[in-house]
Amino acid sequence: MAKNILEVQNLVTRFKTEQGLMKALDGVSFHVEEGELVGLVGESGCGKSVMSQSIMRLYDEKTQARYEGKVLFNGRDLLTLDEKEMQRVRGQEITMVFQDALSALDPVFPVGSQIAEALRIHQGLKGKEAREQAEEMLRLVGIPSPGERMRSYPHELSGGMRQRVMIAIALCCHPKLLIADEPTTALDVTIQAQIMELIVRLNKQLNMGVLLITHDLAVIAETCTRVAVMYLGQIVEEADVKTLFRRPAHPYTRGLLRSIPRLDGDKRERLFVIGGTVPLLSQIPQGCRFAPRCPYACEDCGRREPELLPVPGGEKDHLARCHKAADGQGVS
Amino acid sequence: MEKQSRQDRRALEKRLRREQRARMTRKFLHNKLAMLGSLMILTVVLLALLAPVLAPQGPLENSVYDRLTPPSLDGYLFGSDNLGRSVFARVLYGARLSLTIGASVGLLSMVLGMVLGLYASYYRFLDNLIMRVCDGLSAIPSTLLAIALMASLDRNILNLIISLTVVSVPRVARVARSAAVVVREQTYIEAMRSAGASSTRIIWGHIAPNILSPVLVQSSYIFANAIITEAALSFLGVGVPLPEPSWGNILYEGKAVIHKAWWMIVYPGLFTAVTVLGLNIFGDGLRDVLDPHTN
Repeated sequence: MAKNILEVQNLVTRFKTEQGLMKALDGVSFHVEEGELVGLVGESGCGKSVMSQSIMRLYDEKTQARYEGKVLFNGRDLLTLDEKEMQRVRGQEITMVFQDALSALDPVFPVGSQIAEALRIHQGLKGKEAREQAEEMLRLVGIPSPGERMRSYPHELSGGMRQRVMIAIALCCHPKLLIADEPTTALDVTIQAQIMELIVRLNKQLNMGVLLITHDLAVIAETCTRVAVMYLGQIVEEADVKTLFRRPAHPYTRGLLRSIPRLDGDKRERLFVIGGTVPLLSQIPQGCRFAPRCPYACEDCGRREPELLPVPGGEKDHLARCHKAADGQGVS
Repeated sequence: MEKQSRQDRRALEKRLRREQRARMTRKFLHNKLAMLGSLMILTVVLLALLAPVLAPQGPLENSVYDRLTPPSLDGYLFGSDNLGRSVFARVLYGARLSLTIGASVGLLSMVLGMVLGLYASYYRFLDNLIMRVCDGLSAIPSTLLAIALMASLDRNILNLIISLTVVSVPRVARVARSAAVVVREQTYIEAMRSAGASSTRIIWGHIAPNILSPVLVQSSYIFANAIITEAALSFLGVGVPLPEPSWGNILYEGKAVIHKAWWMIVYPGLFTAVTVLGLNIFGDGLRDVLDPHTN
């Protein structure tokens, strides 16, 4: 069995607000193995991005947020590191790719110098060396005539190119884990396919773990080996890709899957919609968090909070947070 | 073959860079305001630099027999003052002093204002401390504060620069802070943090370059303002120590003889007005060139 490169245990992130502390992540546990591509799905506001930011500890602990639990990276708990040590981890061992590459690149510097800067920070490379390595990275992510593109400013590049530059920056120090936070959401479909292909290729080529955060199930189906589904700051289901798409155990996952438009249906039907909206963090329902929107909910669901448990009779490592699934009744 | 293509590429890169520079320059040249402003400033700077050539009679050389001679083309170009010194020479040498003081104040306020603004925007606990002190400083009318400072310090040029800087810094700091607060929330700053950059690198390597244009524009206004305030202080007798010529000093000495010698007031006043107007127009033009939204 491959080694766990990242292991998140019971991670709780609370934000300081005027109404007190808000739990944005509530006891999240999952892991990413070395060289594995794990997907994290969920609708807007479920805590996907909070998760990635918490792993990197990007929220200011003095004024913004408080973390609990453990984030083990290579066996080391990131939450106990001081800021200096954390800076060495960021950008060298764990790196991030953002959704909108245009706003994630500094507008006043050419892209070449931004890649070179990452190399200067972490590998102590100097002027010419850093530039050559940066050019090499641009070639690796498939940018044509990298020498000229080095001097281009972010606004002079196309969306796809910019995202490639972001990936080049993220990969230039050979990280062990790449967190891709909706890397293709801002791109059109053809470019999206190219970027995902690139990420998958580099994932294999460099044996680097990837945590892919997205709300696009199609992207997950094509690329990931394992998926975790998030709802309201919790993981509600976790399984390998095939199991999740064939036999989803949690009603929320089923809902997500049914909300994908299909072309192969016999008759034209209205697209399935999960009723209701994601509740506010200040109004988290008692018991099962999904119960108010769940078509299978019974009285018990509103009282008792379910745990993330193996699905009886399911595949190995298939976990779901649902009373019905745990009872073996299924929710079909 | 290989070598040939590499040479071609290098030539192409060179051309691209040249074009980029040319584009910025063209934009500046096409901006009539910026051009007019720079022309006015350049004229004054040139006159100041060429002072020894244009005015062979030094600014302190006096001839008692030529007191208060009116301007004439073959005598004193701008007339002579109450001690028989050439007003032309004094105005040109005064330009050196006034411009030096203005530029030093502009530059110093820019650097200090940027340091204060950047740190205030980045560290919340410094924000209140720095900005409230700035508020306090700007609550007092700047000329009044400068007079008070000069009154408590020795009257020399260095102290004058210091006083004017103290008065101007809050204005730059405020502009720098408000620009930096916007930049700080941008995704690329978060991206830099996630790439492991230290706070110092983020502040100076990424926030500072992004707020440079508003700060630069503000500093050009400060430059202009410093020249006016310097003139005002010298006019009131707390600025540049006599007999050193500055525009304000010449005005101060001319005040006593205003009914007999209009030229002692008009010429330094004209130079002050042209320079300050030029700087303000230049600042407006610079803002238009640097701000992509005004295109």
